[in-house]
Amino acid sequence: MTGRTLGRALVGAAIAAAVLLPLAFQGTQPYYLQLAINVLISATLALSWDLLARTGQLSLAHAAFYGLGAYTSVLLTTRAGVPVLLGMAAGALVASAAAVLLGFLTLRLRGIYFAIATLAFSETLRVITNQLPFTGRATGLIAPALLGGQRAAQYLVILVILVVLVIVSGWINRSRWHFAFTAIRTNEEVAAVIGVDVVRFKVLAFAISACFAGVVGAYYAHVFLFISPLEVYSLAVSVGALVAPIFGGLYTTAGPLIGAVVLRAGEELLRSTVGGGYPIIYGFLLAVVILYMPRGLAGLWSAASARLFRRRPLREARAG
Amino acid sequence: MSLLALAGVTKAFGGLVAVSDLSLEVRPGEIFALIGPNGAGKSTTFNLISGLFAPDSGRIGFDGADVTAAPPAKRAHLGIGRTFQVMQPFHDMTVMENVLVGELFGHAVPKSMAAARSDAAEICALVGLAHLADRPATALGVADLKRLEIARALATHPRLLLLDEVMAGLTPTEARQAVTAIKAIRDRGTTVLLIDHVMSSVRDLAERVAVLNFGRKIAEGSFAEVAADPLVIEAYLGTESDDQVESDGDHGQH
Repeated sequence: MTGRTLGRALVGAAIAAAVLLPLAFQGTQPYYLQLAINVLISATLALSWDLLARTGQLSLAHAAFYGLGAYTSVLLTTRAGVPVLLGMAAGALVASAAAVLLGFLTLRLRGIYFAIATLAFSETLRVITNQLPFTGRATGLIAPALLGGQRAAQYLVILVILVVLVIVSGWINRSRWHFAFTAIRTNEEVAAVIGVDVVRFKVLAFAISACFAGVVGAYYAHVFLFISPLEVYSLAVSVGALVAPIFGGLYTTAGPLIGAVVLRAGEELLRSTVGGGYPIIYGFLLAVVILYMPRGLAGLWSAASARLFRRRPLREARAG
Repeated sequence: MSLLALAGVTKAFGGLVAVSDLSLEVRPGEIFALIGPNGAGKSTTFNLISGLFAPDSGRIGFDGADVTAAPPAKRAHLGIGRTFQVMQPFHDMTVMENVLVGELFGHAVPKSMAAARSDAAEICALVGLAHLADRPATALGVADLKRLEIARALATHPRLLLLDEVMAGLTPTEARQAVTAIKAIRDRGTTVLLIDHVMSSVRDLAERVAVLNFGRKIAEGSFAEVAADPLVIEAYLGTESDDQVESDGDHGQH
């Protein structure tokens, strides 16, 4: 058995477990279903953030896309009587459109300047939402429930969204886009001079990334039934979206997923076992991984698998 | 009929005029060298030709088309390729993948992944990197990094190749190999415009030479002609080609 077939078997097992486990628990332990939904929300946000990061754009605007998705969907469903699933799709579109605009505005910004501009964008939306007459201002809005509030069905919806995103991410990393994204991330000017349409790829990455962040924001609203500017436009959403990929392994499909699962589940575990002081341990573990494992948990896996199965060239591993 | 034509091109950064009213014509099939002291505006000229900078005034024509306002990727598709003075490999990629980026994106009509891969392998072999194709770009030494710079530019199949100081940092043997390689590139049909400080290489390679000083063209002709030009001797060659860094401050006294 090679590392790749083992990897595939693990992926298959993970999908089967993801589909079956919550359904098994839904009657007896609703808490686990809730936790699973939270984990998948984090994982989708994390992977969507990573798509954008692959072009070198380290965004602090994911709360903006998340919030835009949530507010668009809630306003459409409550004020215009739009069905919830349609509202979620609209939320994704509005987030995407805003991302294209932001993408063009920040084209020339690099590194920390880009991050600050995206943070400003997010904060501006929060302040505006706080002031507008029809958004419920700081009080927030009550949202209609997705699929009549059936938790198991709701769980399957976020699972489907994540699977679609995983397919998109996997396709990008195996197509010519991967080379364009990586070239742009390494050196935009060199990429441009050898023919990569930098503007097109950067803006496309923004649009796709925000589309998924937006739909997750809308999903969150219709599952937790309440949104407020402070909550959905929170810096914590943006930071959560970037911590998981860094922790799990940047620019990969598996890394952000692993990061989100481990961080979110680990956080719950710590909260229930350690109690009040858990953020200290959580922060310590985070710091250790980020400092000592530059390629995250996924990097640890590929190093271990390379050692275990030997003679696996890097290129083949990446193609798989 | 020229392949590349600069007409009255000027570029200033704040108060500093880096390139001033520069006119230049490169003919198809020739090897043309741009020389001059450091800070003369050579690299700025390359950035203007490849589209990384927009000129303040003047026009840039390539193969009869006005490309003054064309973005860099468009110019690459039209056939302008370049290397960078400071080597800039994509360090998250292998040698082969670096070249592949050029094959995938450097053409007006995109190639399939399979065609691009096999063409990239050919380019690697052409520049002598075949045995290193699957190594990470970060593992290469200086001479091989220069080869990679050239390979990546060649992967866009340029009709005009801009070489920015490819000889710098090479041993004399490596420099002689580079001279041979550049002649071979020209013989395959690529016009070459190069910047270099290694005068023996310029002499061996270039059919025509233009000399820049403080952003202005002060001489143009064969290597022998410009080397005999008193203006050039005063501005540049008289200060010994390899030490111009320190001598920059002297020019104001002439």
